[in-house]
Amino acid sequence: MDPTRTFQFLGLTFNVGNMISGVIVAAIVFVFVFVCSRHLQIKPKGKQNLLEYMIDFTNGIVKSTMPSGSTRDYGLWVFTLFYFILVSNLLGLFLHIEVGGIVYVKSPTADPVVAMTFALMSLLIAQYSSVMKLGYKGHFETYMQPISFLLPVNLMEELTNFLTLGIRVYGNIFAGELLAGLIAKLAFSNGIVTLAVSAPLELLWQGFSVFIGCIQAYVFVTLSCVYVSQKLSIEE
Amino acid sequence: MFTHLIVGAAGFNIGDALFYAILFIILMWVVKIFAWKPVTKMMQNRADKIAKDIDTAEKSRNEAVELAKKREEALVHSQEEANEIINKAQQTGDKRRESIISEAQADVKNIKENAEKDIEQQKRDALASIKNDVADLSIEIASKIIKKNLDANNQKALIDSYIEGLGNNESK
Repeated sequence: MDPTRTFQFLGLTFNVGNMISGVIVAAIVFVFVFVCSRHLQIKPKGKQNLLEYMIDFTNGIVKSTMPSGSTRDYGLWVFTLFYFILVSNLLGLFLHIEVGGIVYVKSPTADPVVAMTFALMSLLIAQYSSVMKLGYKGHFETYMQPISFLLPVNLMEELTNFLTLGIRVYGNIFAGELLAGLIAKLAFSNGIVTLAVSAPLELLWQGFSVFIGCIQAYVFVTLSCVYVSQKLSIEE
Repeated sequence: MFTHLIVGAAGFNIGDALFYAILFIILMWVVKIFAWKPVTKMMQNRADKIAKDIDTAEKSRNEAVELAKKREEALVHSQEEANEIINKAQQTGDKRRESIISEAQADVKNIKENAEKDIEQQKRDALASIKNDVADLSIEIASKIIKKNLDANNQKALIDSYIEGLGNNESK
């Protein structure tokens, strides 16, 4: 593992690199959305059109996976989640700051902790939606459906949903960054020859990583919506 | 290097997880305040406005169609009215002409009758006055002749000639 700068606060370990990357991602998302939402008009043009397209896109994900009327409750969450993860996936591709061997800025989702945090959030929202709909008793009874001895299987399903959701995005982005790093190392290993070979290879891999980053953000958000809607569509 | 692939290898920093959870909630909150609410409200307003505009357009189109129909009806009606007015005017004109002609004819007849009557009257008057005159004259002549010379023969011839003249006069 690459060395990281960490510090202890209230008995918890914080990774400075992750924190800086997260703040940068949040700032990018917020500034973009803030700039696009100035001077709103009934007749949209330019940046307002772009923002409305972005909102329509995430609302489309919600509409296609969840029961109708869910955009009001989950639209904002899905919107923020999608663009946060999208920017997180892409950040490391164009911004990678390393000082003294310690990485300070990279894709936050290339760290399993961050990816699992968002997966846990999706899982918790799914559980919360189920509790809100069925009540605590009804919610826990769903784990014994259709027969009570399936309880461990159902619990295992929840756990695997959580794990696959987080690890999928982490694995893709981490692998993308790792391979990009390897190609970069190769480029500077044997002078001009490897540089000439690696440059187009790196270009190709960067482009592919952008594609993967977008797809993974979309998959992550869609699956989150599906998990929530599974909980919402359970018959009482 | 393969230690990367194990989830817990980098140390599962609960601090990072907490930091990201709070960061995400704050981001969601500011996005809601600065963008989500105004934009979704604007989109809703637009949807409402478009729906309203469609309704209004439909309504005004119907109104226009109705108005056009009404106008056409009015046009047809006014043409009929105009025809009626012209017919009436013609009829009154005809009537008036006939009445004027008949009045004129009656007047003419009346005037003619009156004139005839007048002429008759005047003739009668004239005849009467002439008779009186003749009587006076004859008396005068008679008296003059009597005074001058009362010759029976002459007198007889004189009276005869007078009477003859009178008879001629009367027969006219």
